[in-house]
Amino acid sequence: MSRFLIVTLPLTGHAYRALAVADELAARGHDVAWCGPRTYFRPLLGPDTTLFGTGTRFLRDQAGHGLAALKSLWQEYLIPMTRFMLPSVSRAAAAYRPDVVVADQYALAGAIAAHRQGLPWATLATQPLELTHAFAALPRVDAWVRAQVALVCQEADIPDAGFDPLFSPSVVIAFTTTALSGEQPWPDHVALVGPAMREDPVGFAWDRLDPSRRKVLITVGTLATSMAGDFYQRAAAAVATLGVQAIIVGPPELLRDPPANVLVAPSVPMLSLLPHIDAVISHSGMNTVSEALWHGVPLVLAPIRHDQPVVAAQVVRAGAGIRVSFGRVGPAQLRDALARVLDDPRYRRAAQRIGASYAAAGGAAAAADRLEATAAGRGANRCRSPGLAGQSTGSSWS
Amino acid sequence: MSRREVAPADIVRALAAAIGDESLPCAGIGATSLLEGDLWLDSLDLAALGAVLRDVYGAAVDLAGYVAGLDIDEIIGLSIGDVARYVDRCR
Repeated sequence: MSRFLIVTLPLTGHAYRALAVADELAARGHDVAWCGPRTYFRPLLGPDTTLFGTGTRFLRDQAGHGLAALKSLWQEYLIPMTRFMLPSVSRAAAAYRPDVVVADQYALAGAIAAHRQGLPWATLATQPLELTHAFAALPRVDAWVRAQVALVCQEADIPDAGFDPLFSPSVVIAFTTTALSGEQPWPDHVALVGPAMREDPVGFAWDRLDPSRRKVLITVGTLATSMAGDFYQRAAAAVATLGVQAIIVGPPELLRDPPANVLVAPSVPMLSLLPHIDAVISHSGMNTVSEALWHGVPLVLAPIRHDQPVVAAQVVRAGAGIRVSFGRVGPAQLRDALARVLDDPRYRRAAQRIGASYAAAGGAAAAADRLEATAAGRGANRCRSPGLAGQSTGSSWS
Repeated sequence: MSRREVAPADIVRALAAAIGDESLPCAGIGATSLLEGDLWLDSLDLAALGAVLRDVYGAAVDLAGYVAGLDIDEIIGLSIGDVARYVDRCR
């Protein structure tokens, strides 16, 4: 049996992928320990799982959109988080001596600590921004991101010798499939396993679902609450005149005078609810999109920032949804887009095709297979991968 | 083609043609409006605007190429007025 140390961020879209993979590893009899803030992870892990605390650092809520949001993501979240987590993660790795450190792509402290201690490490790529080299068309933006990564490495006294904390040279587990991402020239140690999902019990008023109407789920995820109110208001107006029932996920006070066909719930059991849903309106977060596509549900996507425009473009290219502007879309345009994905069966068929590719990709079990191989020294590339390392620009290999 | 200077209002008209009038809150858009911060234009919207500008002002206008040469702060700060000046320089 092997020992795995999981290092991820206290964010739903990142933590829940790692949780699904960790559950699978534990079910196979491996030792799994975690490193992260106790306040966030202890309730998710339960009392018996080993958790090395990092303390909790309160950082400003993510805000803004576009490249301004990318700038604040690095300067106000990822870099301070790395500085804050690195001493704790280093101590945890030294004390636990894992066979593999399993690091979220943006939990840079995990990669850095493993690299400094000579431990094998794996990357969990929960979203496609780095994987698809999204800023290839903006070379100076791409170079700026690389400079942020280089700064983090310099601060950790890692010389620029081909070490890229975003991509393990041993194994990169990406929670997507080519049916969504498109074909790319990925090296063998990149494993596309599809979504790995886990759901915690959430109460829901099932009796309020109307079996006679088509149902639309509307969510902007867990990180955009400051922007959600205005969008939900427009979305509620969009569905008011459609003969559907809409479920909006958010605090009820966010919405003034919701129409009679709109339910507002602070949280929903997504995986149990989606089989009843005919279309999803979303901010295009990878978690929501993956869960919808897993159930073959088409989407209307209003991306805000980071990887969300990339995910939306992938869904549109695959034919499983329509993209609208989060900031500009009005009720009439949103209603038209929603009516199209509801009424034109091609959108649902495309979503079902991606869902089938997910089921075939193996999810958490396939991820666990790759991690076991890495622990046993059978990773595709134990040593540095020349295909990845030392590129002057680009955090990818395209 | 007229040699009149390209004005911010010309860019706003091109933008309306590119992404649809109803999705553009035309009132209040002017030279200082930021493409990304105020108008929520993303790369697809910029490509559409670039195509309209090329049609109107000629093949020398390459908006995507212009933006690709900017750094992150310049793109964040890119305004309607900047685009008008760029197009004017291309003619």
